[in-house]
Amino acid sequence: MIDRLAAALKRSRADYTEIRVERTWSTAVTYRGRRLESATASEDQGGFVRVLHAGRGWGVASFTSLDQLESMVARAGELSRAVSVDPPIRLADVAPQRAEAALDLDGDVRGVALADKKRLIEAYNGAMLGVSDRIVDTLAIYRDEVSEYWYVNAQGAALHELRPEVTLSGTAVARRDGTIEKGLESVGLRRGWKSAQDHESGFRAAAERAVALLDAPMVRGGTYPVILDPELAGVFIHEAFGHLSEADFVYENPQAREMMTLGRRFGKPVLNVGDNGAALGLRGTLPFDDEGTPTQDTALIREGILVGRLHSRETAATMGERPSGNARALSFRHPPIVRMTNTYIGNGKGTFDDLIRDVTLGVYACGAFGGQTMLENFSFTAAYGRMIRDGHVAELVKDVVLAGNLFQTLDRIDHIAGDFRWNQMGGGCGKAGQSPLPVTEGAPHVRIEEALVGGDVPA
Amino acid sequence: MIERLLEVARRRADGGADALWRRVERTSVAFEWGRLKAAGATEEAGANLRVRHRGRVGVAGTTAADVPPDDLVTRALASAELGEEIDLGFPASRPPGSPLPSISTFFDRAAGASLDALIAMGRSLLERLEREGCQVNVAIDRETAQVRVANTSGGAAEYASSGVAVSVDVWRIAGDDVLAVGDSAETADFPGDDVLAALVASVNTRLDRALRIVAPPEGALPVVFTPSGLSPLMLPVTQALSGQAVLQGISPLGGKVGERAFDARFSLADDPLRAGRPSSRPIDDECVTSRRTALVERGIVRGFIYDLETAARARTQSTGNGERGIFGKPVPGYTNLVLGVGGPVPGGAASALGGGLLKDIRDGLLVDELIGVGQGNVIGGAFSHPVALAYRVERGEITGRVKDAAVAGNAYELWNRVGAFGNDARWAGSRWASSVLLEGVSVARR
Repeated sequence: MIDRLAAALKRSRADYTEIRVERTWSTAVTYRGRRLESATASEDQGGFVRVLHAGRGWGVASFTSLDQLESMVARAGELSRAVSVDPPIRLADVAPQRAEAALDLDGDVRGVALADKKRLIEAYNGAMLGVSDRIVDTLAIYRDEVSEYWYVNAQGAALHELRPEVTLSGTAVARRDGTIEKGLESVGLRRGWKSAQDHESGFRAAAERAVALLDAPMVRGGTYPVILDPELAGVFIHEAFGHLSEADFVYENPQAREMMTLGRRFGKPVLNVGDNGAALGLRGTLPFDDEGTPTQDTALIREGILVGRLHSRETAATMGERPSGNARALSFRHPPIVRMTNTYIGNGKGTFDDLIRDVTLGVYACGAFGGQTMLENFSFTAAYGRMIRDGHVAELVKDVVLAGNLFQTLDRIDHIAGDFRWNQMGGGCGKAGQSPLPVTEGAPHVRIEEALVGGDVPA
Repeated sequence: MIERLLEVARRRADGGADALWRRVERTSVAFEWGRLKAAGATEEAGANLRVRHRGRVGVAGTTAADVPPDDLVTRALASAELGEEIDLGFPASRPPGSPLPSISTFFDRAAGASLDALIAMGRSLLERLEREGCQVNVAIDRETAQVRVANTSGGAAEYASSGVAVSVDVWRIAGDDVLAVGDSAETADFPGDDVLAALVASVNTRLDRALRIVAPPEGALPVVFTPSGLSPLMLPVTQALSGQAVLQGISPLGGKVGERAFDARFSLADDPLRAGRPSSRPIDDECVTSRRTALVERGIVRGFIYDLETAARARTQSTGNGERGIFGKPVPGYTNLVLGVGGPVPGGAASALGGGLLKDIRDGLLVDELIGVGQGNVIGGAFSHPVALAYRVERGEITGRVKDAAVAGNAYELWNRVGAFGNDARWAGSRWASSVLLEGVSVARR
């Protein structure tokens, strides 16, 4: 395949051409309630070409029929020539990589019978259903894939990779009369069949939480000291800060560049943030990004100060910085854009108890239903919460939605514990119509001195 | 292609089969921060096959054009082997004399538009949106598709469609204040000047009103949700009106057909036969002829949307809402959602912001976009979101944009506290709605 792609590259008359081809085998088994909804095996394949003529814009083409490879290279060339751009697009230098990089398949899912995958997720689904009569519905999904990946570019890069992925997800819905609550379990790893084993307890806990939430009051809206558990702290840093550190937001916008000037203070000295696409076996891990740049551990905030950002080759060239291996594409249907990989808050000191000891009234926000950023404003929804009263964890509360302004909130992080862990959740990140891109986050317990918690507002 | 698939499937699956083949071509241009940066082309084709064998249903899909039909059928049968039994029938061909509904889905002017025409449209939008201290992104996608659906009961249909999607957003960053105002228009035909003018006016009006920042109000207040701002109120309702949720026992509207659950002025229908809309189609992805489905009429729940499988399980008929990708099985999905207060509402391209609902508000909010809609326990109806774009309304007038405020409530309760519907109905994506004034919405500030 690499030879075929290299031959197509040679015929391109553009100044820069790159070609990606992917062939993905995937299986998915879904249970809804007691019913197996579907069990399918799919094969998806296609290619992507991106072309740049000097002084012109990007010409891109994607296609499912590989017979069209040569004609789509030509078509992308025409599209590039149709677009004139001034000042011209430049790409930062990256030493061309040539690699055969099969990630650890960890029990190749392609060798496991669909019936075995069905049995596995059936057991996890059963663990949720067995918790209580109050569990009226479940959704349990097993999904795996192995993607064979080829990448070449005109500067001599040639990559061949095997990328595995396995995700398990469970939703348990508990109901009593008009009250409906849910609990989520999610596991997502760039690994294989072995890592999909032994997850019953997580699924059971999700169902137990949904049932417990039926009796929980809605958190009373207002401002509180808030402690984020590592899972939610990870989602928080991804949503509240990670997206702003993506250089495609700032690189051509002078006001945004000013707002995100390196050296600006974003937090207290306890705060360290980074993004590490090279960490082992995590959901956002890859040896190279989709421009052939090696992934790396990039420091973004060091001791409260902005020190770096995430780049593609184009954004790095424009800003005079170095590519960081963050140009990622969801699939051959999409161009690479600047994305996060495994984003983290660095470890602090002490324990969870140290964070709550002097809190008279606060909220311990745990787990994540989701989050969204609108640049300086963000919102994220905890799976559940507990009140903190007089230095102790107290009653369960629901509908804990944290809303805030990035700059104020980061600056209010005043204590970070020493209990860092990576999230191993499935799901993913959405941007510019490319969703869900596999990413993950990691963090220790984090305290925000004061944050707005949405909830019941007294009239 | 799917005829051969079905031929093989008929021999090997005792309960029949159906299939969908879809070919899509897309051309797109993207202007980033005021400059044309990229042009793209996509060509994609694939087939999805469903079989029923020994009472069990299985599916398989592929984008590989060279897959032998036997292989795909084998994969679908393997999927069926694990499946649960279901009494699924495939709709036969229509009797002679009952043609497909005549709905135009393909427009030559859209399908034939050159790359230069798309670029010219983008440049014209850029010019009209340009303003000091702001930067503009414009994306234009033109898509044509061919769809063929068929089954072993003799059902078969083919149609072509076209669509143009134009989206614009304007960014203004001043210090640490980030303001983004955007809008989009999706049409089956090439959009006329009226469509583009409405898009420009929509963005400019909301931007002009957003330049001044004022303190948010607080308490239980009258709040006007614009057509696009309605999402947190509509999402729970559309989830609850899906036959899938009803079957699973998680729909708060499940047992309520014939009962009043909403304000008597609230009506909602799914309408795949709306002229000129890219979501319109003469037939669904499972060979069921398209028709309008009343979901709520004057506050009374009338029905739910179903595809073939959820209908079979619920012992009812498909409403023609089968939606099918290349991979996976069909699911019930909406086409065009029409929120109406009875008859057709005049579109208000030139209407003022708020649809005429602001004049009696002494102190309240106008909400255009919230952050995080769709997170959390949506179907239960409760929501709580910070504002992305909202304005304070005082003594009947917009006084400025509010930041650092959150809006909360329960969709089902609020739909029983409707003050009035506005006169500014329009399409927001595939939803047709006007602005709505709701009373007693919780507004919190920091």
